[in-house]
Amino acid sequence: MIRKATRAAAALAAAALLLTACSGGGQEAAGGDGSGGTPQTGGTVHMLQNADFSYLDPARGWDGGVNAFYRLIYRGLTMQAAGDAEDPNAVVPDMAEGLGTPSPDGLTWTYTLKEGLKFDNGDPITSTELEFGISRAWDPEIGIGSPWLKNTVEAPADYKGPYQTGDHPGIETPDAQTIVFHLKAPFPEFDNVVSQVNAVPFPVGTGAGDEFIKDVIASGPYTLDSYTPGSSIKLVRNEHWDAATDEVRKAYPDAWEFEIGLEGATIDERLLAGQGTDVNAIAGKIQPATLARIQSPELQERAISAEAYCVTYMGMDTTQAPFDKVEVRQAMNYAVDRTSLQTASGGNQLALPATTIIPNAVNGHKDFDLYPSEGDSGDPAKAQELLESVGLGDGFSFTLDIRSNPIMQAQAESIQQALAKINVDVQLNVIDTSTFYETIGTPSQMHDAAITGWCPDWASSSSTMVPPLVDGRVITEKGNTNIAQINDPGINARIDEIRAMTDLDAANVEWGEFDEEVMALAPLVPLLQEPSVFLPGENIAGYIPNTSMTDLTIIGLSDPSAG
Amino acid sequence: MIRFVANRLLGMLVVLFLVCLFTFVIFFVLSPDPAVQICGKNCTPEAIDQIRANLGIDQPFWTQFWTFLTGLFAGRTYGTGPNAIDCAAPCLGYSFQSSQAVTDMIVQRLPVSATVAVGAAVLWLLAGVAGGLLSAVREGRFADRFIAGLTLTGMSIPNYVLALSLQFLLVVTLGWLPFPQAVAFSDDPVRWFQNFLMPWIVLAVGMAAVYTRLTRANVIETLQENYVRTARAKGLSPGLVWRRHALRPALTPIVTIFGMDFAGLLGGALITETVFGLNGIGKMAADSITKNDQPVIMGVTLLAAFLVVVGNMVVDLLYTAIDPRVRVGSSA
Amino acid sequence: MSFTPTELEVEGAAGGGTVPGAPASPPAGRGAPDRPATEWRGVSRAFLRDRAAVACGVYIVLIILMAVAAPLLVKISGYGPLEFDQDAVDPNLGGIPLGAAGGMGADHWFGVEPGNGRDIFARIVYGARVSMLIAISATLLTTFLGVVFGLVAGYFGGRVDMVVSRVMEFLMAFPALIFMIAVLSALPAENRQFLLVLVISFFGWPYLARIVRGQTMSLKEREFVEAAKASGATSAQIIFKEILPNLASTIIVMTTLAVPGYVGTEAGLSFLGVGVVPPTPSWGQMIASSVPWYAVDPAYFLIPGAFLFLLVLSFTVLGDRIRRLLGEGAA
Repeated sequence: MIRKATRAAAALAAAALLLTACSGGGQEAAGGDGSGGTPQTGGTVHMLQNADFSYLDPARGWDGGVNAFYRLIYRGLTMQAAGDAEDPNAVVPDMAEGLGTPSPDGLTWTYTLKEGLKFDNGDPITSTELEFGISRAWDPEIGIGSPWLKNTVEAPADYKGPYQTGDHPGIETPDAQTIVFHLKAPFPEFDNVVSQVNAVPFPVGTGAGDEFIKDVIASGPYTLDSYTPGSSIKLVRNEHWDAATDEVRKAYPDAWEFEIGLEGATIDERLLAGQGTDVNAIAGKIQPATLARIQSPELQERAISAEAYCVTYMGMDTTQAPFDKVEVRQAMNYAVDRTSLQTASGGNQLALPATTIIPNAVNGHKDFDLYPSEGDSGDPAKAQELLESVGLGDGFSFTLDIRSNPIMQAQAESIQQALAKINVDVQLNVIDTSTFYETIGTPSQMHDAAITGWCPDWASSSSTMVPPLVDGRVITEKGNTNIAQINDPGINARIDEIRAMTDLDAANVEWGEFDEEVMALAPLVPLLQEPSVFLPGENIAGYIPNTSMTDLTIIGLSDPSAG
Repeated sequence: MIRFVANRLLGMLVVLFLVCLFTFVIFFVLSPDPAVQICGKNCTPEAIDQIRANLGIDQPFWTQFWTFLTGLFAGRTYGTGPNAIDCAAPCLGYSFQSSQAVTDMIVQRLPVSATVAVGAAVLWLLAGVAGGLLSAVREGRFADRFIAGLTLTGMSIPNYVLALSLQFLLVVTLGWLPFPQAVAFSDDPVRWFQNFLMPWIVLAVGMAAVYTRLTRANVIETLQENYVRTARAKGLSPGLVWRRHALRPALTPIVTIFGMDFAGLLGGALITETVFGLNGIGKMAADSITKNDQPVIMGVTLLAAFLVVVGNMVVDLLYTAIDPRVRVGSSA
Repeated sequence: MSFTPTELEVEGAAGGGTVPGAPASPPAGRGAPDRPATEWRGVSRAFLRDRAAVACGVYIVLIILMAVAAPLLVKISGYGPLEFDQDAVDPNLGGIPLGAAGGMGADHWFGVEPGNGRDIFARIVYGARVSMLIAISATLLTTFLGVVFGLVAGYFGGRVDMVVSRVMEFLMAFPALIFMIAVLSALPAENRQFLLVLVISFFGWPYLARIVRGQTMSLKEREFVEAAKASGATSAQIIFKEILPNLASTIIVMTTLAVPGYVGTEAGLSFLGVGVVPPTPSWGQMIASSVPWYAVDPAYFLIPGAFLFLLVLSFTVLGDRIRRLLGEGAA
């Protein structure tokens, strides 16, 4: 989540929203159906959040929080499975009859649309509207959301979307129900690309300029009733949405109300107190301070925990001394005290030690710990040994870039304390949230190391989890994601090899192996996975929070007349 | 008098222009590149350039400044071709973060800020004047000293400390007030009142203290003026002396200063709105600062400066009109 | 525009009290008379008779001593301001301090911070350093700027006055708080304390300068200045020998009243996250990080809150008493 949040970097400071966004298969902890009761049709579900959604327009917005929101009003060809599905990370058909059919060379993908699909104004949705909606991603001013369509679908370099150029030359619509994509190169995970939020239909000709800044044209079960940026969004049913065409969305409540701009502490207090309509409310993850207050059996019953989809790590600049030496980087991996990091981040309910890059919840995770220590509290002796082996036994000093956020500061201070034991002096460089990602994404500005986080773009595989952090070919002057700047031919070749695999399950096994191979070179120190705890109102049913994207479409009220 | 007003208006425009220029320079020079921030994950240098062009920040400084100024008075057009957006005057530009028009954002949040400000103003004016009068009447006695102690406390307590203390005491511990919930006045007036009560108190306390002291000093001073003594000597009833000869002149300066303080509330409400999570202009400013959303910060800064400058001018004019003792300087 | 120093000036300044950087300036001793040394002695004697003023003075001295002796005090209490104490917090409950009242006890006198278990006493002691250092530096700088510009504008008048007055008007029209936050968040974090002083002073000096200017203008017309002029004294001599001494009481009053404003501003900016950079402790920052915990661990915000409130109160009371003693010509 931490990385996805870049776009709403500040939102993140308070973070309630994104955290909503990032939550995950809590199904193990909470049993199959999340919070208590069975959802009934009717009523209004309230959502309390700190930050506003980035954009109503899915071609513009792309982060966990808004993705969950888009699911209520927009439909695509495919989508992430329902929150209560056996594998909630899987991709399933949405408006398409089935998943895509690739050609033998993997360059052409064909989808067939269902019949009876309509916009909220009653107009039918055909392949033409879908092509139009998808082509908006290429508009230079509007298509600032998910880059995956642009990364994979073939288009001339000067193609600038439907408003400036016209029809998309790489997408064909042979008939009203069929849509064909021509790819730049084979991309076995293309079903994930068309599940991205910007691959949704819009009536031809709509959405130019700022039209979708304040309004929507819905294809999903709800449509916009009113929108006051920064304070509230109200959704009502889209009467033209036909439940028979939708296997995933349940759309129990008649309306949704998003109350925006509340302080995290206030949100938690309201959920705890459960006064008035707050019994029908959900929100992002609760704050560490609130954990101490949900110890009563009644509240324990309500609280739901969800696994992390992101890893918090410390990246080290491998091009500069002392981190150009693998021994030094390995020493860092031995030396950090993950137990102290855990407490600093809110204790064992909100943080777990991470020893791998791929979080447990993401498909492809392999459990390993190359740099073990007793109780995860670090092995300074082993670290000291490694440092001595390269003549740094007397320690050294380095500068660590961190974001001005209380938790991240606490984490940095914990690292400072742990490394002091091996005479390594850590200078903290606290950067304002608004500039942090720019600084660490610019290799010339980043200092020796930085603490940040990374989440996959889709959770069904690790193809977007590890490579962006270690692929030597993605190092750029600005907006760099490989902050360790590691450029290892072996790593690069392995990435290409696994990406080409068409058996996605086999590929995931390989990503797990790859994670371990990368960690042997230790370009980064995985610090924590940060799971979350959620506290829905007592009348909420069918709620399965997820740290990556909570499925709002299966939530309802057990008693729609309450509140 | 006309010359004075004209001069004052001109001065006001100069000040506003300087505020504008100054803010613009600071952001142009100091601030990080918003394009990189907006670009986010999976960004490429080309994408950054494109965003810079979209935002118009690829232009040289003076071009940007000029476009901004003309937009303010004549409106401007963003983008080209089918995506062009007309921004009517007074155009403050579009938020980098949400693409909303800044003017709209301000207008949308104005009711909340106005509610906070008006409620607080009523509270501090009532409390301040009442406290000041009581103090003046009881000068030197227990009530006066007690009120003096209260005003010193009120002036000293940082508003966020007061806000947290009140919330802890009234909501969490005693449960006298519910947690704030967005409720319109028309839906549930009681709930609405409860929501705003704490912000009003927090914002009013410091000002009420200042007003108490001012009122007290003015009333005591007026009571010693010759004409009041004369009126008393002539045997006018004490009530009449008070109303006609003491209160009016003593309160006139309070009312005029009030105009200025009210105009300056925007800055003062920033912390209050943030602490209580009220979606007013102050909170918007605080949020946009963390997000480096320059057009919004510019818009709020300009609006705040505008209100202060206008407030100042109105006060000066009122003063000249009401109090003949103030002579307008010839060099003005 | 140049107004004669009337009520308007004085109260205009008082009206600016909404700007946190600006002291809510009092109707400061108008045209304070020349004060012989014996009277100063009388003033201090009257001051010492005032119990509230003495109590406030004592509190301020204590805080200053605490700030100076911070390293020593921390040695006695046993925990440094940056030291984590994981044993003092409960990892199962989000890191809430173990024990009553935020973990207060013989080990941690004021309890610990939730999450990392840092000692609050140590952070208060070190935080006092930051608060005092910034407030005092800002006061000195503001006083210097305010006196210089006020004197120059008031004494020379004409075009100089016009330029200075315009600049003052411009700065006072500025929404200072919003702007301070904006500038500080855009600036790099290095030397943050120095920048804080600079930014606070930049917006603070006009409030003193305005009053100094007004008084200088009226003093300039007085006989003793005329006499000095007639006897051939230079401008510098007149300013330093004749006018400045007569401004002393005003400057003292204004300065004392400005300090609490700056203490509050520093804490406020740190509270909003643009002040002192962590892990350096500051009271405002401590209060800010206590916000999510206020319901669970009230001691966490009450302790720094109380220290801050009492410091501001002490300076305010002290300034108020000094103003009364000097302004009313008591003694």
